[in-house]
Amino acid sequence: MTQGTAVIATGRAGVTRMPRWLTSEHPFPWLAPLAAMLAVFGLYPLIYAFVLSFQQRNRIKRVDEFVGLKNWIQLVNDDRVWNALSVTLTYAFVAIVIELALGLLIALLLDQDRKGYGLMRALMTLPLVVPPAVTGMMFLLLEDGSFGWLSQNLYMTGLLSPEHPILATGSTALMGVLLADIWQWTPFMVLIMMAGLRSLPKEPYEAAAIDGANAFQTFRRLTLPMLSRVMAVAVLIRGVDLFRIFDYIYVMTSGGPGTATESLSAYAGRIFMTGNFPYAATLSLMTMIVVIIIANLFVRLFKVRF
Amino acid sequence: MATVTVRDVVKKYGELKVIHGINLSIAEGSFVVLLGPSGCGKSTLLRMIAGLEPISEGDVLIGDRVVNDVHPKDRNIAMVFQNYALYAHMTVRENMSFALDLRKAPKDEIERKIAWAASILNLEPYLDRYPKQLSGGQRQRVAMGRAIVRNPEVFLFDEPLSNLDAKLRVQMRTEIKELHQRLKTTTIYVTHDQIEAMTMADKIVIMRNGYIEQAGSPLEVYDNPDNLFVAEFIGSPSMNLIEGRVEGGRFVSKGGTAIALPAGCKAGEGQAVVLGIRPEHTHPDPAGALEARVGVVEPTGPETHIYFELDGRDICAVTRERTGVKPGDPIRLRLDADRIHLFDQASGKAIR
Repeated sequence: MTQGTAVIATGRAGVTRMPRWLTSEHPFPWLAPLAAMLAVFGLYPLIYAFVLSFQQRNRIKRVDEFVGLKNWIQLVNDDRVWNALSVTLTYAFVAIVIELALGLLIALLLDQDRKGYGLMRALMTLPLVVPPAVTGMMFLLLEDGSFGWLSQNLYMTGLLSPEHPILATGSTALMGVLLADIWQWTPFMVLIMMAGLRSLPKEPYEAAAIDGANAFQTFRRLTLPMLSRVMAVAVLIRGVDLFRIFDYIYVMTSGGPGTATESLSAYAGRIFMTGNFPYAATLSLMTMIVVIIIANLFVRLFKVRF
Repeated sequence: MATVTVRDVVKKYGELKVIHGINLSIAEGSFVVLLGPSGCGKSTLLRMIAGLEPISEGDVLIGDRVVNDVHPKDRNIAMVFQNYALYAHMTVRENMSFALDLRKAPKDEIERKIAWAASILNLEPYLDRYPKQLSGGQRQRVAMGRAIVRNPEVFLFDEPLSNLDAKLRVQMRTEIKELHQRLKTTTIYVTHDQIEAMTMADKIVIMRNGYIEQAGSPLEVYDNPDNLFVAEFIGSPSMNLIEGRVEGGRFVSKGGTAIALPAGCKAGEGQAVVLGIRPEHTHPDPAGALEARVGVVEPTGPETHIYFELDGRDICAVTRERTGVKPGDPIRLRLDADRIHLFDQASGKAIR
């Protein structure tokens, strides 16, 4: 045996091996790196936030003090939290419905092997590579009250009037932000739906053609049910993502006018900026809890399997 | 019920021609099997009749109607696919009622037809199950049930038994034949299994490379193959073929073995021919004229296949006797002279 190696000698002479739990036969060495990463970047911040949510900053002593459930009670009594929750739910629901419907429609249209469709499918993914903050800026310009291209066109059709710019009016601001989200994330739905459509078996369609189904009946009675599992997974992924919506709101409205577009993350972010870290942590934890509950309900309800 | 007529049908994929002008007429109520090795165009032809593949040239008629441009749903046909093509998200009942639902048939009629089909196919206990909860044979029956409730003019089967195990295949074969005898619906059945073809068909159409090699009743094509391909393809073990030429009214193989030809043989003197004789017409017989050495003996139970070498070719004899021959034994063989087939070596065509 050469000197300096860290092999551990066992019973029989000449046979050396590592402890069993360090060999490749054991799951531990395979799991350890990822487990360490998760612990450092996932678990530690989570526990830190959890501990933080029971503390408050003492401004004189400049230390965090344990205050029990004070932050949580404040949270429940904070009207702005309930407003943020309702904004978030509205935002997520509208975005999901529109992105799913548009995504499915575009996927159905693009799912053909004709000339030029490959290029169109590639172009379709372009919005996904634009940074969300840039998308937000883009739509901020488009929807600008005085010189935005979209605003001007809407003024011309009479749907909006210059006295009520999209992003500065309480009733339309959220829709203005949603436009950016829909533009950016519909392609994601298109990609998932297209992958789903491509994976569907061909034969049932031939059987249905012979059975007498027209295009609409085939879609409703074959494509939709066969695609439902893919759709549920897409909604879940997108839904969890939408629940944490922050970037477009931050860039485009900062939660305004008033709190009309203030989502849970936007509110938490605002509190974070004011330096009240414990309350911001409490808000974030609440967002997480709501997401877990809704996602679980969804998984049960739609029998999602990965 | 309807006749099906295929007129000069050609199928091209781009420049590649896979079906070269096929003509075929299928009588009302008959059971026609399209038989051939994989890639011969039999499934493509079936799919053109179904309307799942466009026809490049020629016409397909169902009854008197040219259906080239008619959508599959308007052809009044039913098809059973190789992998069943069941609707996985529907129960057996929903699978079978799908076509009737689409037609907006009355509820009680749908119920009646499903009950009828389920009783014919022994599917009653499974009506509320999903396809994935069924065995291969049961799925196959659901696919057939889905076809028969429609009461179509033509049934199309695309290798429906090839995904089943051997025993089930034999059983389903009988069931399909029985079903046809009961319903008398014109049926076109595609398979590469010549036993399926022989046992089920009223008429076998043997295809190769996009051409029809021969069409006729099972025994016709078995007893009088038009060419070498059909002779070799039909029958198991396949026909023994020996190359040689005609000399002085006898057949003389390349190795010099002489075999007497039946009287009235049309082969010309000196013509290069292939002599064909089926294994069951090749008998081990101490008084036989041919001498050979036994290679392999395969007992199957009812009969024994004896392989031996003659002029460098493996020849098979099938006997129902318990001969007790062993590999290496010398053996004498007798051929039934009136069952000898002669084929022209160059063209492969039968000499009759």
